[in-house]
Amino acid sequence: MEDIIRKQKQFKHPIARVWEAISVADQISTWFIQADFKAEVGYHYTFTHQGTKITGEVLIASPVHELVYTWMVSGTETVTTVRWILAEYENGTILTLEHSGISGYPATMAVTMFENFNNGWHSCVENLEKHLAGMN
Amino acid sequence: MKKDNKIDRIFKALADPTRREILYLLVAAAAAMNINEVSDRFPATRQGVTKHLKVLEQAGLVDIQKRGRERYCVATPRPLKAVQEWVDFYKKFWDDKLDGLAGFLDKT
Repeated sequence: MEDIIRKQKQFKHPIARVWEAISVADQISTWFIQADFKAEVGYHYTFTHQGTKITGEVLIASPVHELVYTWMVSGTETVTTVRWILAEYENGTILTLEHSGISGYPATMAVTMFENFNNGWHSCVENLEKHLAGMN
Repeated sequence: MKKDNKIDRIFKALADPTRREILYLLVAAAAAMNINEVSDRFPATRQGVTKHLKVLEQAGLVDIQKRGRERYCVATPRPLKAVQEWVDFYKKFWDDKLDGLAGFLDKT
């Protein structure tokens, strides 16, 4: 078993544009998660999602290619690491995302986390449904 | 199953191919096997197999019970499911988020 999740995705947008989307607080808040964030080494950021706080420290901020920060979910003590790597490819960008360090979690905590997050996403979908229903 | 099982221990336990095979054997057996029955199936010595079983036991993946003179092992793979759920959760989380990023980039 590997202690890492790795995702790769290709975008037809220039690398500087993708870098902004993953490193500027306003933009992160739009597509990813409510963010107090600065792409500066040592910055202690806070992400908020449905009452769940994720905090961490920026370890590497090297525009426009690499952004690394620790990822700690409130109520847990285990620190995982999220790494964004951007590379230019033809007329666009390849993004590689790595999330590692899962093996530090207590097994029982993993279940709790999973359940918490699941509830979070569930209410998120419910809110969206309500919002869409209100628009009709 | 100990409450403080670290997933770390599970990963370490499963890093060794012989231990993976021992666990698969016990899961497939779906019943308790004594240590001799287990070690007969592997080229390793009885002591070697016992050592592997201890590591699996510490990771919470195997339960070893003493009955009379014999020790019996049974697979308890529940912690493994927790790891899998966690990994599955984040795989989906990042897939969804990266799709969101694609949508965001297309709109702006």
